[in-house]
Amino acid sequence: MVLAEIVEVKDLVETVVFATVTGIGVTAIFSLAIWGAARYADLSQEERPWAAGAAAATAGLALLAVLAVVVLGVVVMTSK
Amino acid sequence: MTSDVILVLVVGTALAFDFTNGFHDTANVVATSISTGAANPQAAIAVASLLNFVGAFISISVAATVANDVVDASVITPTIVFAGLIGAIAWNLVTWYWGLPSSSSHALIGGVVGSAVAAAGFHVIIAEGLVGKVLIPAIVAPLLAFVVAGASIGVSYRVIGRQRPGIVSRGFKYGQIISGGLLALAHGTNDAQKTMGVITLALIANGSLGAGADPPVWVIASSAAAIAAGTYSGGWRIIKTTGTRIIKMDAAQGFTSQGAGAAVILASTHFGFPLSTTHVINGGVMGSGAAKRLSAVRWGVARNIVVAWVLTLPAAAAIGALTYAVTSLFGNGAVGPVVVTVLSLAAIAAAFARRAQRGAPVPVQSG
Repeated sequence: MVLAEIVEVKDLVETVVFATVTGIGVTAIFSLAIWGAARYADLSQEERPWAAGAAAATAGLALLAVLAVVVLGVVVMTSK
Repeated sequence: MTSDVILVLVVGTALAFDFTNGFHDTANVVATSISTGAANPQAAIAVASLLNFVGAFISISVAATVANDVVDASVITPTIVFAGLIGAIAWNLVTWYWGLPSSSSHALIGGVVGSAVAAAGFHVIIAEGLVGKVLIPAIVAPLLAFVVAGASIGVSYRVIGRQRPGIVSRGFKYGQIISGGLLALAHGTNDAQKTMGVITLALIANGSLGAGADPPVWVIASSAAAIAAGTYSGGWRIIKTTGTRIIKMDAAQGFTSQGAGAAVILASTHFGFPLSTTHVINGGVMGSGAAKRLSAVRWGVARNIVVAWVLTLPAAAAIGALTYAVTSLFGNGAVGPVVVTVLSLAAIAAAFARRAQRGAPVPVQSG
């Protein structure tokens, strides 16, 4: 029996792709949220309200995106 | 009547295994949060316990794999399942006693395969399922977690740049509430399903369920409760090994290792691969450490962990086979399983008494 017949290649590849994209993607977006929060603190101290607001918006949107990916991931899990 | 007595023993033993799985295995899930100071031990374990319970209800793909794709259910008897479970529990206790991370999942599958082979020969193994759904994913998953965690921490440090460490550290500690929670949820869904699968296999073997049946609701609920109770009960010694001895990590590394672990386990669960969460989380921890600095990882400890992993399948299989042989000495009735149950309980009590005499394992310091 050929190894490729035994191993469910398609499922395994999809597992690798899903885990890689979500694992790295969520970390990148969450890091963006932290970057936004840190910049907001710095820019607020420098009394640059517009730039601080933009940084806060970036942080907020990134955080929402992380939560959306988490919820989507759990929904996909329950769909099979 | 005899088969019902054996079935009750199997269900009881399976739930006891599930408890030891939580006790032994789930501690690894919270180790990262505790070692970075993101959560205090009591709160982390309580939340992990709750999410383990919830996670058990999410999917049944892994249970279907364990029940139908590893050994030929048509030649399995409840006594074979019982012997396999004893093999898995015995190996879990040995590794718990010595504080070694192992794999409850591989112990369970190894135990069942060993007892089935002892009872009916090698033809009972379904090679496609064992190799394609258990062994290959067992190798791929921790390596994948290693790579994903390593790449994630690289991306994270690049995005964060030179921001103030205090805010960054606090942010990732908050993030670990999400990533740790997801990891606990993922653990519950993958690990509790293995017990569901084994109980379902026993029910099919007993004729209580038809071939290929899904786990009944009472099996899902009781498995969820058992693993949650086990998680809440402890595992301090293994927390110490995983959380502090592999690498000394910061909050960003904790977040990325947990995130990578959760992503790998959830994706694998979706496709019905029964994984070792211990392998995956340790792969993630090592990946996030190695990406920052290779020498930060204490490779000697990592090597010991790998040796324990490699030993798990054959050791649990050997104990499962031996247990089946002992059970068979008493014939096909319920006497063998009852005798083995009594002996096992005595061995467990002795192990706990000896561990208590030597002093409780030291909890890891938070902060």
